[in-house]
Amino acid sequence: MTFRSRLLITTSVVLIATSGMLSANTHPVTGETLAADQSFTYRVGDESPSIDPGLVEDTDGADVVRDLFEGLYNQDATGNLVPGVALSHDVSDDGLIYTFNLRENAKWSNGDPVTAGDFVYAWQRAASPELASPYSWYIDLMSIENSGAVIAGDMEPSELGVTAIDDLTLEVRLSQPLPYFPQMLTHGTTFPVHQATVEEHGSNWVLPANMVSNGAYVLTEFVPQERLVRTRNPLYWDNENTIIETVTKLVITDENVALTRYLAGELDRTDVPAGQFPRLSAEFPDQAVSVPEACSYYYMFNLRDGAPEELQNPDVRKALSLAVDRDIIVENVLAAGQKAAYTFTHWAVAGFETPDIPMASMTQEERNAMAQELLAGAGYGPDNPLSIDLVYNTDDGHRAVAIAISQMWKQTLGVDTLLSNQEWQTFLDARQNGDFDVARGGWCADYNEASTFLDLMQSQSGYNDSKYNNPEVDALLAEARTSDNPQANYDRVEEFIAQDTPIIPIYHYAADDMFAENLEGWPYENFEQQWYSKDLYKVAE
Amino acid sequence: MLSFVIRRLAVAIPTLLILVVLSFILMYAAPGGPFNSERPLPPEVLANIEAKYGLDQPFWRQIVNYVVSVVTQFDFGPSFQYKDRSVNDVIAQGFPVTLTYGFWSFVVAVTVGVSLGVAAAIKQNSWIDYFAVGVSIGAQVLPNFVMAPILLLIFTLWLGWLPGGGWNGGQWQFLIMPVIALSTSYMASIARITRSSMLEVLNTNFIRTAIAKGLPMRRVIWRHAMKPTILPVLSYLGPAFVGMITGSVIIDVFFSTGGIGQFFVNSAFNRDYSVIMGITILVGTLTILFNLVVDILYAWIDPKIRY
Repeated sequence: MTFRSRLLITTSVVLIATSGMLSANTHPVTGETLAADQSFTYRVGDESPSIDPGLVEDTDGADVVRDLFEGLYNQDATGNLVPGVALSHDVSDDGLIYTFNLRENAKWSNGDPVTAGDFVYAWQRAASPELASPYSWYIDLMSIENSGAVIAGDMEPSELGVTAIDDLTLEVRLSQPLPYFPQMLTHGTTFPVHQATVEEHGSNWVLPANMVSNGAYVLTEFVPQERLVRTRNPLYWDNENTIIETVTKLVITDENVALTRYLAGELDRTDVPAGQFPRLSAEFPDQAVSVPEACSYYYMFNLRDGAPEELQNPDVRKALSLAVDRDIIVENVLAAGQKAAYTFTHWAVAGFETPDIPMASMTQEERNAMAQELLAGAGYGPDNPLSIDLVYNTDDGHRAVAIAISQMWKQTLGVDTLLSNQEWQTFLDARQNGDFDVARGGWCADYNEASTFLDLMQSQSGYNDSKYNNPEVDALLAEARTSDNPQANYDRVEEFIAQDTPIIPIYHYAADDMFAENLEGWPYENFEQQWYSKDLYKVAE
Repeated sequence: MLSFVIRRLAVAIPTLLILVVLSFILMYAAPGGPFNSERPLPPEVLANIEAKYGLDQPFWRQIVNYVVSVVTQFDFGPSFQYKDRSVNDVIAQGFPVTLTYGFWSFVVAVTVGVSLGVAAAIKQNSWIDYFAVGVSIGAQVLPNFVMAPILLLIFTLWLGWLPGGGWNGGQWQFLIMPVIALSTSYMASIARITRSSMLEVLNTNFIRTAIAKGLPMRRVIWRHAMKPTILPVLSYLGPAFVGMITGSVIIDVFFSTGGIGQFFVNSAFNRDYSVIMGITILVGTLTILFNLVVDILYAWIDPKIRY
C-alpha cells in the first residue's frame, strides 16, 4: 500500500466517521436537531398473512415488505416514482418493451449484488402455480407477456416475458401497452427475492435467522400476532441517509387499547378509533391527522335476473341514490375527514378530474324533490310503498351509516328498509352469489389510477357484484386501457354510473391516525399511503 | 385403578375422532372459505391454491388424509391464512404463551380462592366472611373484558407502571395484568364453592366428634375438613385449568400476548380450516386428559371412591 492510498483511506475513514456523527445530531437536509431515540413503533390490527414479497396480500404486510425489500422504483412523499434498484428505464416505440437500468451499488443483506436475474426469478416465482400466490393475478394485471398462461400452468414460468439482458439490465415485454406500468412497480409482488436463500430454506426463508433482503431494513425479530422488529441494513445503498434505527410493528387488535397505549407513550402511530376523531383532533391537534385514503364506500344494487323486480328500474335506483344526504353521513355520522361521493372514483386519484355529475351540484331539497318524482313515476308511493333489504358486514361504523340511510329513505321516500348484518365470510358469500337486494361495498385502489375503481363496472369483472352490464361502459373502459388520455372515457363512465345507478357512491374514505409529535417525514400527501421507514425521523423535543 | 385409566384412555380415542369429524363438517358447512375474499381470485389462481392445500380433493378424502397425517406424523398441515407458517408453528408459538399466563392465573386463583373460601367459612357471619364474600362477588361481576381495560387505564395510562400489552418473551411486567384479569372470575368461583363446601363439612358429625374430643381447630380444619371440602372444588378445577391454559380470547385481544386464544378466534373468522382443527384437537385432548387427572385425584383424596 502506497502512502498516497493510505492517506486516502485514512482521510475517507475520518470523513465517513465525522459525517456519521453529524448526521446523528441533525437532519442532513432540513438541519433539524434529531432526537437521541430513533425508534419507530406502530400498531396494526391483525397479523399479515405473509411477509414474503411473492405472497404478500394486505397493506400492513406491504408496509413491512417495502422496508425489508426494494423494488425497481420507490415512491416519494407525494407518490411520484423515485429510483429504487432501477435508475431509469427506456420504453420501445410501441410501448411493449421496457428496459430497466439497475444501479451497481444495490446489495443483498449478505453482501451479494442485486442483479436483474433476481427480479426475473422473483417474478417467475410470483406467477408460478407452485407458489400459488393469491397475488399472482397482479403479474397478470401488469400485462406481462404470457402471464395468464404461466399462472394457469399452460406455460413454464421461464416463458414469462421478463429477461435479464445482463446483471444490470432487465427487459420486460408486455402483451399490450400499459401507460401506468412503471407506477405498478412499487408493489411488493414485483420486489426481488434472493434465490439461493429461498431455495435453501423453503417457506422458512422469511424467518429472521434465514431472511436475506435488499431493503433499508433487515428482519431481526418476528413473533406472529405479537411483534415484528426490523433494524437498519448497513449494506443498503442509501444507508447513510437512513435515520430511524429500529422499526417495531405491534399487533394490537383492539383500537381503543392501542389508543391507550399510544397515550401512554408506547406507540408512535396508531389508528383513531371510529367516532373519536372530533374529540382527539380537538384535544391533540398536532397529533390527530386525517388524510384521503384511496377507497370508496358505496351501496350496490343486485341487477341479476331473478333479483327483486322493483330494483331493476333505473328510476327507482336513482331515486334511492338522490335521497341519500351524503353531507349528513360525512359530517355528522362519520365526522373524520371523509368526503361526500357522487362518483365511484376517489376524488384524489392521480390525474382524475371529478366530472360534473348533475346531482352533485343540486341542493338536498332539489335532490329529494327529484327522488320523490322519480319514485312516484315508477309507481311507488304511500299506497304502494317500496320495501327493500339492506345487508352489510358486521361493524359499528357500517351499522351507523345503514341506519342513517334507511331513515333518509323512510323520511323522503317512505321506503321501508330491513337492515341485516352478516359476519364477513357469510357476507362475501351472499354478495358474490347475488343473495341480496342492496349490499354495502367498499373498494380500495390497487394503484393510483382511475381504472382501479372503474374496472369494477365492466360486465366481465370478477369484482362486479351488482352484475351491472352496459356494453357502452365496457367499450369505454377497454378503450381507456391503452389510451394516453383516458379522462374523457372515465367522465363518460361516471356519467353512466350516475344515470343507471348500479351503485350509490356514498363517501370517499379518509385515514385517521395519531402520530407522535416528534415524528417527521410521514408522507401525508402520498395518496396510497406508501410510507418508507427510511424517510422518517424523530426530532428532539 | 390402572385398568380404569386404560379404559378411559381407550374411550378418549373415539371421542377425539368424533370431535375431529364433527368439527370438520361444521367448518365446511359455514359459508365462505379460506381463500374467499372481497376480490375473488381468478379461477386459475384459485385452482393453484386449492391444489396446493389439497382442497380440490373430495371431502371424505380430505378428512382421511388429515387424520392420517395427524396420527402418523403429528403434522397438522400448513396454515391457510398465514402462508409462511404451519399449524405446528402456530401452536408451538402461541401455546407456551397461554400456558405460562394460564398456569400463573391458576396458581393465583386457587391460592387466593381457597384461602378466601376457607376463611369465610370458619369465621361465618363475621367481617372476614362479609369481606371474602364481597370480594368474590365483586370479582365475579367484573368480567375480564371489563377488568382488562380498567387495569390498562390504571397501571399503564395513569400510573405508568406496567407495559400496556405484548409479551416480550414472557417477562414478569408483561405477565401481571393478564394474570390478574384472567384469574379473578375463576378465583371468585373457587372461593364460593370452597366456602359452601367447607360450611357443609363443618356441620357433619365427624367434625363435631373431632372438635368434641378436644382437637385444636387448626388440626380439625387441615387434617379432617380440608379433604372432603376440596372434592367439589376439584371437579371445578379440571375444566377451569384447561380453560385457563388454552387461553382466553379477551386476554389475548386486550393484552396482545400472541397467545393461542386469538389464533383460535381469528382462524374461525378467516376460515383457516387447518388452524381451527389443530387448536380444536389440542383443546379437546387437554380437556379429556385433565378430566382424567381430576378423576384420579378424586380416588386418591377420597378413599370411599373406587374405580
